[in-house]
Amino acid sequence: MTKRSPSDIIEYERPAKRSKRIRIDYLSQLSDELLLRILSFVSVSELCLTQRLSQRFNAVAGDAQLWKALYYNRFVRPRAARLPGLRDGETASGHLYFSSKLSKWLDEESLVSRGKETDWKRQYKLRHNWSRGSCALSEIQVAEQPSVPPLLAKFHDGVVYTADSQGGLQAWRTKRQRRLMANVHFAPANCRGSPVPTSLAIDTQRAVSGAQRVLVGFSDGSFTVFELRQDEGSFEPLYRHPASTNGALSAVTYSSPYILTMTASQLLSLYKFSTEPDDKRVKDVLDPPRLLCSLISHTVWPPLSLSIRPSSQNITASIAYAIPRYPRGWSVGIQEMRITLDGDLIESRLASSAEDAFRPLTRPSPASSSPSTRLSSPASSPGSHDIYSKPTSLSYTHPYLLVSHPDNTLTLYLITSTSSTLSISSGSRLWGHTSSVSSAHVGGRGKAVSVSSRGDELRVWELEGGMNSSANRRRLISGELSVQIRPEKKGVSGDKDLDSLSDAISQRGSGLGLALEAKVDDLSTTRGWVGFDDENVVVLRERSRGSQTLVVYDFT
Amino acid sequence: MAASTPATQMITLTTNDGVDMTIERQVAERSILIKNLLEDVGETGEAIPIPNVSEPVMRKVIEWCEQHKKDPPASNDDDSDSRKKSTDIDEWDQKFMQVDQEMLFEIILAANYLDIKALLDVGCKTVANMIKGKSPEEIRKTFNIQNDFTPEEEDQIRRENEWAEE
Repeated sequence: MTKRSPSDIIEYERPAKRSKRIRIDYLSQLSDELLLRILSFVSVSELCLTQRLSQRFNAVAGDAQLWKALYYNRFVRPRAARLPGLRDGETASGHLYFSSKLSKWLDEESLVSRGKETDWKRQYKLRHNWSRGSCALSEIQVAEQPSVPPLLAKFHDGVVYTADSQGGLQAWRTKRQRRLMANVHFAPANCRGSPVPTSLAIDTQRAVSGAQRVLVGFSDGSFTVFELRQDEGSFEPLYRHPASTNGALSAVTYSSPYILTMTASQLLSLYKFSTEPDDKRVKDVLDPPRLLCSLISHTVWPPLSLSIRPSSQNITASIAYAIPRYPRGWSVGIQEMRITLDGDLIESRLASSAEDAFRPLTRPSPASSSPSTRLSSPASSPGSHDIYSKPTSLSYTHPYLLVSHPDNTLTLYLITSTSSTLSISSGSRLWGHTSSVSSAHVGGRGKAVSVSSRGDELRVWELEGGMNSSANRRRLISGELSVQIRPEKKGVSGDKDLDSLSDAISQRGSGLGLALEAKVDDLSTTRGWVGFDDENVVVLRERSRGSQTLVVYDFT
Repeated sequence: MAASTPATQMITLTTNDGVDMTIERQVAERSILIKNLLEDVGETGEAIPIPNVSEPVMRKVIEWCEQHKKDPPASNDDDSDSRKKSTDIDEWDQKFMQVDQEMLFEIILAANYLDIKALLDVGCKTVANMIKGKSPEEIRKTFNIQNDFTPEEEDQIRRENEWAEE
């Protein structure tokens, strides 16, 4: 497409006008620049309609700059308004537009840095689908038999990792072709009494494409580091830690080169592998890690969440957990250990949710409510902290701590962690579910997904900034804070494959959507696990017969 | 600049069909092109040639500039939100834009060439409003756009964009 200068057009038009009654397509004769300007005034749905006009319009209306502007206006600038640091008024002044500094701050740099190659229309569609909860649904059956202890699962960057004693460690791809990528067994088959996997973690720190490290903790206290080689489709064992008398590893987390483990007997240990240069990996094994510190806790019970946050000066290893509260109910606590890069413990500190320590023993009657209201933050509404039954899950991605409850609600806490203080905000109850919530997972930007215990109700939450911003509180009241995930009834419209597309369309009339729904209803329970990345939500479900299925919700 | 010169100062423009038009400098300076030209060249009193715009179009453009001569100067920041995303057009401008398509697009081209952002936006919004609420076939009819897709190609694009339907 060559640009026409205005003078060209005029010269072209003149003779055409004189030849009577031939109607001219003035619009298509405009330069791309002017067409883009016109199209910048139409809505997303109209923009998509104009793509169907002609090849020229298909190209111009799909222009990355148009979609980038739409993306920023709809998804980035409103987010800025929700962040407590940025005043709502500032966003109205329009200075936020394509500011690269801000986009970095808003964690969109991965999109911006790709610059021209970013398919902004695709990104827009992805976010649009997330915001509506619309997605395509597919399933991967991972095990025929029920597994004891339950199958472990983690989802990271388009790959679901599962571990159980029968199937071993398996990696499943969720993008495009959903299939088993790699598999490794933990022990020789039919070996009675061999340790079973009890915990699983993905290395979130080391970013080497095609090689993802995975940590599996076992019932005998041992753990093994595997590396998934995507090209070879295999897991390579890199290091095997000997069994220990301290008991089963109930939780592990991995952030290269650090490993944090928690035993069933409440022993927390932090290890460090010697750092190896990534470029010269001559040997396919890791040297044994050094134990940096370990401590025993008598208050920490599941559900809990381990995490490691490395920074340039020190490492913060933390454990977030639910604590029973006298005389009844539950709250949350967090223990943090700050450690120098050399492994010396700087400090270990504890915090629990702000108002809980000062709660009166009886529920405050309206007349005697002053002691508790004095201590609770203005964000919390009275009575919103009464959690009577044990939380079903707990997810912590700093600074968000999200707890799910059997009473159809979730509670969001914000953790403040500085060199001098550690504190947890008072909890904010989140309503939206209409049945018991069995699991929730919160990600770095406050995006969270929660799932009901029957697995039939999934909600996506945008919790960025917490409940201290007035914008978020308004959204909670108006029910806009979360959206229910609704799998497409139209069929697999997200699929690239043209054949399956046309199949789905031809089947649309004959109840494909209903079939999908029926399938979902057939699944009896979720196994208390849900994970997501940029494009998919994955839920592990167990059918009544005991077979295990990964349900993939695809938002692309 | 405009404040230091008397508002009644007149300048002359020559259109590409050789017609001289004499207008107030303040009106002419709605065009950033002419404004910059006057500032660069100084007050020579000579006619300014406008090689890309014909007399009938220039008359239309000047009519608009007369109406809007008191508007605050346009900001140079194209990305700023001051350029409202809505397609609301004020009443006078709507009436002004009730012209045939040839004139409409000539005004857009002239506004682009003369660098009159506000007029360009009015023109673009007018066209955008002609697109709104129509089916692709209706849009094609409105603008005489040739459909160069095969039915399969068009159907594929329709399916790819299904997510955006309201």
